[in-house]
Amino acid sequence: MIDGSLLHLLDVDLEGAIGRSVDELGLEDAPALLPLDAGEQYRFSFDMTVCIGCHSCEVACAEQNGSPVEALWRRVGELESGVFPDVHRHSLSMACNHCLEPTCLSGCPTNAYVKLDNGVVKHLADSCIGCQYCIWNCPYEVPVFNPDRRIVTKCDMCQPRLEAGELPACVLACPTEAIGVEKVDVAAWRADHSAADGPGLPPSSITLSTTRIILPVDLPADAAPVHAGAIRPADPHWPLIALTLLTQLAVGTVAATVALEAVARWQQALTGVRSHDVLAPGAVAAFVSGAVALAASVLHLGRPVHAWKSLRNLRHSWLSREVALFGAFAAVAMVYAVSWLVGLPTIAVGGTGVAIGLAGVYASGRLYLVPARPAWNSPRTLVAFFATCVASGPLLAALVLDRAALPVAWPRILYGVAGAGTMVQLAVYQHVAASVAARRDREVQAFGALLFGRFRGLLAARVMLGVGAVVLCIAAGLAQPGSSVAAVLVALAFTVTATGELAGRYLFYVTVVPMTAARSFFHGWS
Amino acid sequence: MKVDVGRWLGLGTNAPAYTYGTDDRFGVMSSSRVPERWVQTTCGYCSVGCGMFIGVRDGRAVSVKGDPDHPVNRGRLCPKGLAEHHTLAAEGRLTVPLVAGVPSSWDGALDHMASGFGRLLDEHGPEAVAVISTGQLVTEEFYALGKLVRGGLGLRHFDGNTTLCMSSAVSGYKRTFGSDGPPGCYADIDEADCILLVGANMADNHPLLMPRVLDNKAATVIVVDPRVTKTAMVADLHLAIRPRTDITLLNGMLKVILDEGLVDLAYVEAHTEGFAELAAHVQAYPLDRVAAECGVAAGDVRRAALVFGRAERAFTGWTMGVNHSVQGTATVTLINTLNLVTGNVGRAGAAPFSITGQCNAMGTREAGATASLPGYRNWDSADDRADMADLWGVPVNRLPTQRGRAYPDIIDGILDGTIKGLWIIATNPPVSFPNRRRLEKALSMLDLLVVQDGFETPTTAMADVVLPAGIWGEKDGTYTNSERRASRVSQAVDPPGLARSDFDIFVAVAGAFGLADELFPGWTGPRDAFDEWRRVSAGRLCDYSGMTWEAIEEAGGLQWPCPDPRAQSTQSARSASSAAGNGTAPAGSARLYGDGVFPTPSGRARLWCVDPEPITDAPDDEYPLLLNTGRTVEHWHTRTKTGRVAILEGLAPEGWIDLNPEDANRLGFHQGERVDMVSRRGSVTGIPVRITSVVRPGEVFMPFHYDELCVNRLTIDEFDPISREPNYKQAAVRLERH
Repeated sequence: MIDGSLLHLLDVDLEGAIGRSVDELGLEDAPALLPLDAGEQYRFSFDMTVCIGCHSCEVACAEQNGSPVEALWRRVGELESGVFPDVHRHSLSMACNHCLEPTCLSGCPTNAYVKLDNGVVKHLADSCIGCQYCIWNCPYEVPVFNPDRRIVTKCDMCQPRLEAGELPACVLACPTEAIGVEKVDVAAWRADHSAADGPGLPPSSITLSTTRIILPVDLPADAAPVHAGAIRPADPHWPLIALTLLTQLAVGTVAATVALEAVARWQQALTGVRSHDVLAPGAVAAFVSGAVALAASVLHLGRPVHAWKSLRNLRHSWLSREVALFGAFAAVAMVYAVSWLVGLPTIAVGGTGVAIGLAGVYASGRLYLVPARPAWNSPRTLVAFFATCVASGPLLAALVLDRAALPVAWPRILYGVAGAGTMVQLAVYQHVAASVAARRDREVQAFGALLFGRFRGLLAARVMLGVGAVVLCIAAGLAQPGSSVAAVLVALAFTVTATGELAGRYLFYVTVVPMTAARSFFHGWS
Repeated sequence: MKVDVGRWLGLGTNAPAYTYGTDDRFGVMSSSRVPERWVQTTCGYCSVGCGMFIGVRDGRAVSVKGDPDHPVNRGRLCPKGLAEHHTLAAEGRLTVPLVAGVPSSWDGALDHMASGFGRLLDEHGPEAVAVISTGQLVTEEFYALGKLVRGGLGLRHFDGNTTLCMSSAVSGYKRTFGSDGPPGCYADIDEADCILLVGANMADNHPLLMPRVLDNKAATVIVVDPRVTKTAMVADLHLAIRPRTDITLLNGMLKVILDEGLVDLAYVEAHTEGFAELAAHVQAYPLDRVAAECGVAAGDVRRAALVFGRAERAFTGWTMGVNHSVQGTATVTLINTLNLVTGNVGRAGAAPFSITGQCNAMGTREAGATASLPGYRNWDSADDRADMADLWGVPVNRLPTQRGRAYPDIIDGILDGTIKGLWIIATNPPVSFPNRRRLEKALSMLDLLVVQDGFETPTTAMADVVLPAGIWGEKDGTYTNSERRASRVSQAVDPPGLARSDFDIFVAVAGAFGLADELFPGWTGPRDAFDEWRRVSAGRLCDYSGMTWEAIEEAGGLQWPCPDPRAQSTQSARSASSAAGNGTAPAGSARLYGDGVFPTPSGRARLWCVDPEPITDAPDDEYPLLLNTGRTVEHWHTRTKTGRVAILEGLAPEGWIDLNPEDANRLGFHQGERVDMVSRRGSVTGIPVRITSVVRPGEVFMPFHYDELCVNRLTIDEFDPISREPNYKQAAVRLERH
């Protein structure tokens, strides 16, 4: 029997329940949450055995928080397994898991997340710039971008209600008392958090999710989220395609330019022949490329004018570091380019730029190495990013420089390095194929299905462009130096390489399949 | 433009729209939802009848909350209810009368209606104009409408969309017990030892009854459903029978109960008739036959029968899985029979209980004048007609002597030329009536179609005259829920534009026909209708005479029969005008037939012998799959409201087909693929396939809510011969590549 009160949910017969019964409280009193002892935090519990999949929690949450339909904080997914009529179908209602190791928080470049004393992982709207990196980092896809606010928003366990001693809206709305709030001993949970695991859920070890899930005792191990087979391409993130490709192009170009300058200065020292004066266009091209990259990247933000806030978490966030390093790189590249234009080239400046740029490319790659996105979470992401530098930068340098003024061998070295870079890039796909063949997890399998299935045409084109680029590099090297044929071949080599890189980077973004909590049929399939 | 640039640059985060405020009653919530005042009311979707509050600020409904003190839902609501305030300001509301699609004054629209219908009635007689109403109005409006249609206009053909959902329950109750009226109540679910749910997916369709099922840990829950529904998932025993084999199953269970000596012979002897015939009849249903025909294990059938038969208190709940059948009435009588032979009627925890569909289907059954005269009076009884004419103060010869055509027969009447004018109120037949092509042909043949609704619908699009009506939240009255509980419905905001409450429209229509003074003398609002209805119902089974709006509000709803506590006889009750004074608060009645006396000629309940009939539109080589239709929790009926609530529409944005993996593999369809579905009557194209084992191989399921993917283009226009309820649940189809 239900005791007939709104507040009886507090009277949960579970260990660690935080509330008191309505009889203790009286209807007139606000329900007081049990105070936390040292080493404890609040958490959600979810009882899959009594959830009837009514979605009341989702609607109650949206009403409580005024959330638009595009940015729901609690969502109900479905699991299914078995053969008719011995079928298990269950619902999983999940909001934020208020993890012990929240990756949303550690990855956030602006420190827009804080873990409150009561355990709530709280998002601070004013600090958020809408970069959405937390969405990539969260294995449950909990943070959601609110297009009305142009920032990310997420569940805070109804912190304003907790402060007033009231239970969260989802808890109060659930007709079958499937959702609860409990307190948990943090140290004990850190030691054993297996109750946060369940079919179709990312492993709780990634973030130490605190939500305690009560599973049906007879739930088959093969119970799968109904969205599992739904494999949808991800957003291509065009501003990020531009950012990563153009920064890598810029770093590669500066590196090629600086390398040529170093050789030239060395030769000048040996022979007295000054040949590096023709390198100015390389420095300028690198700076322009880097500047355009940074300009494009702010288009990715919900709040471009607050882009500077992304420097706030240099201690933990690779995204902060990427921004800082590429910002510094652009500045140094500009100084380097200007120094050429005024005739006072400083190889030390160029060398510094290369070092900062390479560090930036590394940071850029590292920020994609997140467990929640297994397709990216591999050293090959770093390899691919550096390979882009190598494949494209030398060709841009060769293209913009006055090759006739250079020693005959130098352009050939550039073509050769670039061709090698593209070959590395193609080898990355070998690694992808091996990885997909070796792993069973849904996200990697789905990534493989996208790359080698839905996007196989584009993948084939990308590989052919790569092969073409290598052939063109070789042909350019074989052509008569200074001839118009050579000029055409270099231009072609760069164009084909760049197009191949563009296709490859587009594939990189659209084929990633994120980890997520179980979703509904329509969330997955329509 | 400047604002857009600022937004694009991300200068602010629109923070003022996302602050929190504190409400005295419900605590902290989004400031956008904090009201100035709460208006107590009852949910306007299904018949569970959840108590709730509408939060009003600046004349707008900004929020809803479940009523923590309401005995039905104790503060909780389903997702539709939780977002119900959004329906009031949704786009697509009708705000001005339309004549031939052109905005009109009320006088112009009503004159057009009255003169058009008047001409048809003059030229062709009282059969030429029919009315199809709904289960969505308040009881006061149903009463006024019935009085207008039957007592004023004397129309022969008047029915409601309740025939599409509840008429089999009504017919079945009448055949068994001598009267309509569910004998039990929700508390019976709490107190039963065995809860048998037949064709009732409560988790999707009556979510707020599920806590009672789950909280009754002592009960064995048995679900009979061809699909593995959300409700079936929480059952102790799920009998996944083949479609249209429920009668076979129930007969088989009866035979086990007889064979095992689990019949309550004392009850049967004292209060029923027809037991000997029944005992002989069910001998034809041995377990092996039942198991083979139903497609379930014999042991499971036996177990279900034993649990039910041995239960001290057994509750049987059913909904559309039973009613939506050409054998709906027969199945209801068999469910009643099962409960009667085990003595499970009229006691706590023991009832054959029809879980109704619409918020006020019960109100129209009791107070309307469609299948019955108000107060369950019979059309074919000269005494009842005289009684009614007397109460109404109209000439008795104005009243029809039969109930007239039921909803599907009205459609037939249009097609055969008998009916030339139709007034449709708050229902949307193109989406909800079977065989849409034939239905739309009928509507297009009408000389005059008047449609009264709150929203633009496919029906209003076909209308000659559109009357814009207020909806839930914009008017006052009462709803009566599945357990006979009348609850108050309150106006929180004004209808938009020129829209008026249905009550006001009915009075105005009466005025246009020159009947207002005769029918509604001195009436100023729905309370006048309620007071007259109390007098009309006094002494009847559905006795409201002890209720007042205030007493209903005070009690959180009152269950009929609720005689005036100050009246010792029906005669004095009839003249009573107030029941709430002097400390004699009305109590209402949780259950019917506690004394075992039934309103039949013999005073005994009738046991029925029933046999199953084969499916008419059975699968064959050309149409190899069997289509089942139903609902999903996010939407209500034809989505005129819920389709306009962003969060609900987002949760279930379009129709789909449940298809077993075996069939999907055979047909080569992959998950989420769009397919076409074809029946002998039509086709629906581009439906997403959901491959799932919740349906049996060879069977498909599709929800009916969607105009865009309208499953009623496929369903068969075949009806129960007694209740006239459509057979929505079985039709042969095939799937084709889109």
